[in-house]
Amino acid sequence: MSVNQPEEPFTKFERELTQALRAVDPPDGFAERVMARAQTSEQPRAKVIAMPRRLPSWTSGAIAAALLLGVFFGVQIHLRHQREQAQIAQQQFEDGIRITDQALERTRQQLQRAGVLVGD
Amino acid sequence: MAIANDEFRGLIETHQRMVFSIALRVTGDYATAEEVAQDVFLELHRSGESLFSEDHVRYWLRRVATHRAIDALRRKAVRPEAAAEEWVEEQHVREASESDVGLQARLEDLLRTLPEPMRVAVVLRYQEEMAPDEIARLLGQSLASVKSHLHHGLKLLRRKAAVTMKEYVREPA
Repeated sequence: MSVNQPEEPFTKFERELTQALRAVDPPDGFAERVMARAQTSEQPRAKVIAMPRRLPSWTSGAIAAALLLGVFFGVQIHLRHQREQAQIAQQQFEDGIRITDQALERTRQQLQRAGVLVGD
Repeated sequence: MAIANDEFRGLIETHQRMVFSIALRVTGDYATAEEVAQDVFLELHRSGESLFSEDHVRYWLRRVATHRAIDALRRKAVRPEAAAEEWVEEQHVREASESDVGLQARLEDLLRTLPEPMRVAVVLRYQEEMAPDEIARLLGQSLASVKSHLHHGLKLLRRKAAVTMKEYVREPA
């Protein structure tokens, strides 16, 4: 048998086997299918390569500072809005009191002219 | 870095018969063989930068095709004896005379009934015509182990052929 001595020629059985195991063609369109798969598998990789593999060390600090500034200005805007609303409410309350006082004063004067003493 | 498209297509066209045939003979299944062969070429496409010569490419393809086919065979856990009948229905087109077809087709069927290590060694020896020491290197096995697989694989094939094939002509002593 030529297994142990590869320089020996094949036996008849081995020659038959070699004939039986000749290379065969893959199914039609094999190369096209491989090319198509290669191209589709390239696309996501290109995106990955375009991304920086590692962000610079200062990036996380900058992001944190930006977030803090955003929160700070947000709170300031909210407080200013609340103060403006309070001022408007205070003004409306004072106007209401003043109008009421004027109405009461007119009523008191009319009653006084009619000879009715009220209060004091 | 992947291989350029033109170069890659050239490599597929040059080596597709070899890669597909190894996958087919090891897995024994036409569809699985195509899947394995496609995966092998895609792996080549991704790792193409490190392949610098035609011999290196051929060796790389043989090695990866063999290992991927063995992996596929183990994943499917197909027992050779159980799948032998399917093989008969899936016979592919051969370029041989009608008298040869019967004998060679039966030998190919019988190959599928061999245990995996013997089958792989026989495929690499008689399809790829690799020397036992080359097979040992490719499979990462000892030379003695490869020779043992070949010896027992051939013996088993011969015995099965003698029992099942009337056309088989016994070797002169």
